[in-house]
Amino acid sequence: MIHAQARLRVVATLAPFAPGDSISFPRLQKLLDMTAGNLSTHLRKLEDAGYVGVTKTHEGRVPATYVALTPAGRRAFEAYTEQLRALLG
Amino acid sequence: MNDQRDDLAPDPAAALAIIEQQRRQAGLTRVSNAVLFAVWGLAWLVGYGALWLSGRHGEVSPASALVFGACVLVGLVATFWHVTRRMRGIVGSGPRTGAMFAGAWVVGYAAQGMTIGGLARAGASDDVVQLVANASGALVVGLLFLAGGMMWRSPGMYGLGAWMCLVAGAAALVGLPGSYLVMALAGGGGMLVASGLEAVLRRGADRA
Repeated sequence: MIHAQARLRVVATLAPFAPGDSISFPRLQKLLDMTAGNLSTHLRKLEDAGYVGVTKTHEGRVPATYVALTPAGRRAFEAYTEQLRALLG
Repeated sequence: MNDQRDDLAPDPAAALAIIEQQRRQAGLTRVSNAVLFAVWGLAWLVGYGALWLSGRHGEVSPASALVFGACVLVGLVATFWHVTRRMRGIVGSGPRTGAMFAGAWVVGYAAQGMTIGGLARAGASDDVVQLVANASGALVVGLLFLAGGMMWRSPGMYGLGAWMCLVAGAAALVGLPGSYLVMALAGGGGMLVASGLEAVLRRGADRA
């Protein structure tokens, strides 16, 4: 699930954040250089898989969306990374 | 619109490369010690350097005091700009800790100002006031970098903190006008060296 290229990029960008920290949708979009629609689609799939948590909130009257890996997402990424390293020796 | 290529699985080497590249991208959401050490290293080098150049032969000139003030102002603006740019859109304990750290600087320097004012009022000579101003300025930096180094597990920041504490002591011991040179070269120069080391050795592993 993670291994699909675009979703790997999303998860790999979220992984370095400390648990408890999250990033706004626009900032994440800029880091990934993706269109909003593209990123939305990938985030939805990752959310459905339980790997990403999306929090919608309000700052004053402006809606804001924040994204972070879930503990399950973190574990899946670490397992995947270990697998890759094992494959490459 | 979902690009077909988005769903392809990259080979292991390509996947690790992507992971590393995105790790570096994520680093853009963290404050860079290399950048901040360089900003303040330069500010101290130029600012205290100006004070030394004019204070070498007698009284420190108003012009050099202005240069010093301008350097501090530029440093503050650059720091604010860098931090807000890097932390935009990030929420959590990381930014909260950073905000507390920023607050500690304000409190530290306010206390420094009050201390110097108290000494002047108690009758300390201009020379003594200047020496205490230099030493306590470097001490504030040193102690806060020791604290920051512990908090973010940064050996670079911790080491620089220890160094700046020594600079504080030296700046007082050598007396005027050498004190300004110590601040400029050992203080400012020390921060510039630390900046270089951070940039080369840490390479994208900035504080969390």
